[in-house]
Amino acid sequence: MKARSRARHVIAALALAVLVMALVCLFVGASRMSLSDGVAALFGKGSAANVRILRSIRVPRVLAALIAGAALSVSGLVMQTTLSNAMASPSTMGVSNAAVFGANLSIIVFAGGFLSTGNNLAGYTAGVNPFAASVTAFLFSALSILLILALCRVKAFSPNVVVLAGIAVGAVWTAATTLLQFYATDVGLSAAVVWNFGDLGRATYKTDLLMLCAAAPGLAVFSALAWRYNALLSGDAAAGSMGVNVSRLRFFSLLLASLMTAACVSSLGVIGFVGVICPHVAKRLLGQDHRVSIPASALMGSLLLLCADAFSRSLGSGSALPVGAITSLLGAPFFLAIIFSRKEHGQC
Amino acid sequence: MLELENVVFRYARRSEPVLRGVSLTLRDGEIGILLGKNGAGKTTLFQCILGLAAPESGSIRFDGEDLLKMPRRGRAKLVAYVPQHIHFGALSVFDSILLGRVSRFGMQPGREDFEAVERILAEMQLEPLAGRNAEELSGGEKQKTAIARALVQEPRLLIFDEPTGNLDIANEELIIDEAKKAARQRGVAILSSLHDLNQALCLGDRFFLLRDGAVRYAGDESVLTSEVIGDVFDIRSRIITVDGKKVILGGKYYEET
Repeated sequence: MKARSRARHVIAALALAVLVMALVCLFVGASRMSLSDGVAALFGKGSAANVRILRSIRVPRVLAALIAGAALSVSGLVMQTTLSNAMASPSTMGVSNAAVFGANLSIIVFAGGFLSTGNNLAGYTAGVNPFAASVTAFLFSALSILLILALCRVKAFSPNVVVLAGIAVGAVWTAATTLLQFYATDVGLSAAVVWNFGDLGRATYKTDLLMLCAAAPGLAVFSALAWRYNALLSGDAAAGSMGVNVSRLRFFSLLLASLMTAACVSSLGVIGFVGVICPHVAKRLLGQDHRVSIPASALMGSLLLLCADAFSRSLGSGSALPVGAITSLLGAPFFLAIIFSRKEHGQC
Repeated sequence: MLELENVVFRYARRSEPVLRGVSLTLRDGEIGILLGKNGAGKTTLFQCILGLAAPESGSIRFDGEDLLKMPRRGRAKLVAYVPQHIHFGALSVFDSILLGRVSRFGMQPGREDFEAVERILAEMQLEPLAGRNAEELSGGEKQKTAIARALVQEPRLLIFDEPTGNLDIANEELIIDEAKKAARQRGVAILSSLHDLNQALCLGDRFFLLRDGAVRYAGDESVLTSEVIGDVFDIRSRIITVDGKKVILGGKYYEET
């Protein structure tokens, strides 16, 4: 049918755009490496410096953008559908706030902050362990998710309860982070603040693998459940009458989406807005059918992060700006343009 | 046959029960109409039958099978629902109807599911709308699509919550015709709530009048007398006969002088 053929064309165009941007991010950078040197370095030929730049820095960075962009965007889409809330995002369950608290705790208290080394940069550098920050961030994110889901199971597993519980628990993590930062040394504080900036430069093959381990099964499960999410668009009662176990679907979808987000945020820091705008843009372009909106959102997320990364590296004259800020700077005007230029496709 | 026996339901443990021992029976191919004031418990009763709310006590059976203990997908093959407020989430009419097969296909629809949708589109003359965005349909077309979605579940019992609530008079007739066809041609039992008593007379075979969470009166159209209507709705009414058919004039303006 006409709509399906249009969807196929849009998804193919998005995939092509992702491919082009991935190549741009691979071969354009501060080192001013020529395209031929870049291609040679990708295959392990040419100067050792070029090979190192390409294989150790740019490839993991591009992979991180592809994986995290897709994971955050699809998590946002699933949150919006399961909570029937257009403003829901991967951070709705307080995941990002908990991750920030976990990383800050690790950096400020355990890795060279005021407890062990005082305001001593050398001591801080010796004590800091980037993986410790990521692991603690993930543990606190997981704790936050389980806490909210447990609270909601006690009361009622309705979308409003989940959203309100997420806001409340998220506020507690934010307050705790503020207290930590208040007592932090200058060095600990600056290290913690830098961690909070989402940064693709932190990506390594290990972090990419970690994110992929969370994202790939998540994306596969979400795609398999596309018809159930479509049923949920008719409302809880109608979906329930069609044989969908709405509470169970909501519980597992939120758990999986939050774990995917936790894996990304713990590895890269907070990258906001991808999970809000990309699903909306995908839905505006192709409608709400999850068979189409899931792959389209994944591609939109990867594309936005790749564009933000390319943009952040081109402005920073050698050092990249925080990609989390750029996603909002680039994405928000585009989002507004789409919102105000197209007619409604129905509710979110 | 649908059999409800002493169904009691309350939303919170210490709150007043919304349903206080509802009992009713409805045979295959029969259209039962639930009548009652707002808050009488009609929608709650539907939720209990659909398995969306768990009664505190009582039993809900269909052909002897306990609907309350039945797995969700099994129940969806037996009972379908047409809600009052219909949303399709901007899917095409074809895909919206295909959703009715979710309980049968699980993850991905198969050939028999597509064929079932094509059959129902043809039977209900919805083929010209198949590719349209279901959210952009008129009220009557949406309602018809929702009925098609429910019928493609191949249910034995169909529940309608205020099927004509937001429709103009032409579409009201259309929906009443579709409901009657489903009952007479397919032998589906229909339980519907309606506010308009004259529409209820056009559609129903049996009438269940709810007050304060219990069926106060039940029976065929002869049960709908001025006294009964007065007791259930707290209104005065007058019943006249036009061309041999009963017409209920509700409200004090029509009171017999």
